[in-house]
Amino acid sequence: MSTKTPNEDDILRPIRNTSKNYYILFGAALLAFAAFLVGWAYQLQQGLVVTNLSDWGSGGGVTWGLYIGAFIWWVGIAHGGIILSAAVRLLGMDRYMPVARLAEMLTLAGLSAAGFYIIVHMGRPDRMVTSIIGHYHITVHNSPLVWDVTVITAYFVLTATYLALTIRYDVTRLRDQLPDHFDPIYNVLTLGYSESEDKIIERMVWWLALAIIIMAPLLLHGGVIPWLFAVLPGMPAWFSAVQGPQFLTIALTSAISGVILISAAFRYAYDWDHIITDDVFRGLLLWLGFFSLLFLWLQLQQNVVGMFAAPLDTAVAQEATLFHPIYLLSMGMVFGTLVYIFAQTIRPSLFTRTRAMAAGVTVLLATLMEKILFVVEGFLHPTFEIYAATPGVYFPSLIEWLSLVGTVGMVVLFFLVLAKVIPVVELHAIEHLREDHGHEPVDESASKQEVEA
Amino acid sequence: MSADDESFHPLGQEWEDDLEAMLDDTEYDTDLGMQMAEDAMRVTKGELSEAEFHEQYHEDMMEEFGQDDRPTEQALEEMEANASNALEAFEGDEDMDRREMMKKMGAGAAFLGLGAAATFGDDEPSVDAAAQEDDDDNDGTQWGMVIDLEQCDGCLSCVQACAEENQLDAGVNWMYVLDYEDPEEDLNSGRQRLVRPCQHCSDAPCEKVCPTTARHTRESDGLVLTDYEVCIGCRYCQVACPYGVNYFQWDEPDVAAEAIDNDHVYDERGRPVDSRAPRGVMSKCTMCPSHQDGKQGEEMIGTTACETACPPDAIQFGDMNDSESAPQQYLDNVALTRAKSELAGNNFAPEEGLDYDELEEDDLDDAEEDLLEAVRILDGEDEPAEDDDDDGMTETEAERIVQGEEGSHASTFKLLEDVGTNPNVVYVGNEPGPNAEQTEGPVDYEQMDYERADNGEDQVLADVRKDVTDEGTVDLDYISERMPI
Repeated sequence: MSTKTPNEDDILRPIRNTSKNYYILFGAALLAFAAFLVGWAYQLQQGLVVTNLSDWGSGGGVTWGLYIGAFIWWVGIAHGGIILSAAVRLLGMDRYMPVARLAEMLTLAGLSAAGFYIIVHMGRPDRMVTSIIGHYHITVHNSPLVWDVTVITAYFVLTATYLALTIRYDVTRLRDQLPDHFDPIYNVLTLGYSESEDKIIERMVWWLALAIIIMAPLLLHGGVIPWLFAVLPGMPAWFSAVQGPQFLTIALTSAISGVILISAAFRYAYDWDHIITDDVFRGLLLWLGFFSLLFLWLQLQQNVVGMFAAPLDTAVAQEATLFHPIYLLSMGMVFGTLVYIFAQTIRPSLFTRTRAMAAGVTVLLATLMEKILFVVEGFLHPTFEIYAATPGVYFPSLIEWLSLVGTVGMVVLFFLVLAKVIPVVELHAIEHLREDHGHEPVDESASKQEVEA
Repeated sequence: MSADDESFHPLGQEWEDDLEAMLDDTEYDTDLGMQMAEDAMRVTKGELSEAEFHEQYHEDMMEEFGQDDRPTEQALEEMEANASNALEAFEGDEDMDRREMMKKMGAGAAFLGLGAAATFGDDEPSVDAAAQEDDDDNDGTQWGMVIDLEQCDGCLSCVQACAEENQLDAGVNWMYVLDYEDPEEDLNSGRQRLVRPCQHCSDAPCEKVCPTTARHTRESDGLVLTDYEVCIGCRYCQVACPYGVNYFQWDEPDVAAEAIDNDHVYDERGRPVDSRAPRGVMSKCTMCPSHQDGKQGEEMIGTTACETACPPDAIQFGDMNDSESAPQQYLDNVALTRAKSELAGNNFAPEEGLDYDELEEDDLDDAEEDLLEAVRILDGEDEPAEDDDDDGMTETEAERIVQGEEGSHASTFKLLEDVGTNPNVVYVGNEPGPNAEQTEGPVDYEQMDYERADNGEDQVLADVRKDVTDEGTVDLDYISERMPI
């Protein structure tokens, strides 16, 4: 653990320095994104027939697949990111201040990927604006998909506002050290800034954080997104009141995993071991463990209710899910992560950052698999399962797989570009850490005590 | 319960005394109640028949309660089979005609009525019960169908006619016919066949979830349609429909737009809702708006391509809110309508009745002649014989012949009614159980084809759409086929 004192130079390093690795990563991410854009262009030319989706029922396929599964996954990551950031502000969880902005950026990046998936998934994306906006006043009363688009848009606006408000403080103070060629951007960001607004902004951001925390379980991954599925009585694999809470735990586990990975990447790239300390990772891991436990607990609820004496259609669907190899693998991965997290809590020497990152990757893969399977299983075991072609078959096509690579590339690009323009660690966090250094230096033993507490 | 217990009740004397005390507390005759209870136990033991039990207490019941709701199905069947005066046993008023009598008996008793159909279910009045009350108060037209699953022979003519009418791609089976089997042997009875068009639900979940209003119910006649120029292809309608009737246009449709008449695409409101969908939007059975809007001629109004094509007249399309419509007339007396249909040959219209003058009696064999005589009597064309000793057929005999030929009891159902969609397709026949699984039918989809409007070539149908869409899926095979390597 470093005892270096964090300063402005530290947080300006991503903007000032561009390493060879940056170019390599940028190139790889761009290539991944571009490859999918080519695939998407082909899909636009040929139609959605290039996917392995087809009609359920007599058609023998599934209507929604990887695109929607990955959409939910990205939305989950996004929602969890901003919940984390809002909680830091609202509950005064100062320890996580250095990663709060990364979490906010993850929200914007995740929502962008999710929004992109909505467009990619459509048969006629060219009509998105005319057809949806044009009939919004009618459809908003009924269609969960419209609620969904509404809420995602609202969330994007909230998060962007949140970020834009908090960034004014930083950009103003660091202006002299920021590159001149971005001046137009900084001018817009700090338009009309005066020091007297700091307190007001702080209050506004607090209220925004409160709104986000309240909206999350009610409307976002605890509400509208699961309602896309949970309200359909003809699909017993989905029709359940547990989907809301279940989706929320998936969002939070995925987002914490995402924040762990991104924080580790920035710490590695910019020598931020004194800013994003091991302590942060230990704390994030503990939260990951807690939400993984909730995740598994809700899965248990579904399995017990679905297997004990459920209505026939529910029992069929739950049994099919429970014994699906992907489901077992996914649950096993989350459970394994949970065991590791609890073990390293009891014996702190088991903690390493690499293991924390491995836990993050494992959980992200597990939730992605679970989510895609969740979407597909609905079509495989509907109430009306009389068709010989039902359950159908589905394995994502190359273009569908490429979309995952492409959106990951897109999110990485988002971070790489944004990190060149704005400080990804708040000035407040540095100031706060400096205060800590003044009074009570954070060292290994102190952090251990905190973890054990 | 002791061996020398004299109670008729299997739970013993004490129980019987309790029951007697309970009856004493009511305003009704305790002795009659106890006597009936004892005889009811004899019925369960088989010592007394349902019909005997009914007759024995009918008068007492009428006297005591002013009504007798007991006639059970078994009692009825027994009476049909045995008693020549079965009908009198119900009411005793010989002058009253059957239809009027059934009205008096009310919907509940009509359920048991001779040859009448009923919709099982909850509090909602069944379709035919509503018809029998001559309830024409429902607002406007609601197109729908009655499909007699016992008449369907699985020839797929309807599937083919639909595909041709709408120029559908292979595997886009807006109309789908399937045979099924239930793993539980006892449940396997009847034809075990299901004809599955779109149910054109009054509470269509597909419409509810649509983010664009592309999927909508046409106000004038209740058809559930898709506006091909509004649909964004999100496929949520297909996800929400519990029946699996939607087919997405995954790629460019086989038959080009130029080959399809605009009158067969745009409905009377000028919205593009008919024929095969363009690429990227959803499609499903439309119940032929081009017919209903009169664009194919006046005579086509109130018909669909599948209905017209069906050789055994298993499909009856019409206004479900009109008691005189083909589907409601069909439900009114299923056995009689089936018999008329059989006599008339193809394309019998229940709402128009049988044209007796056109029937060539010379061509009929003995059995058919008997059937015709029975139908004439039941249809009110001929007077029935007064009793067995007279010449000719009595009404009871006529009933027996028609039911012997066409089945005595016709149950009806709506598909997945408990999902709350309020479908507008009523089925006559047995409902497939939840474990039923599709089996091979008498005709393969791949054996059927239709003539394409664009190039006159044969378009071969397909059962499973995915087998067709798989050809466009980008996988390793797809790439290796197209790459020069």
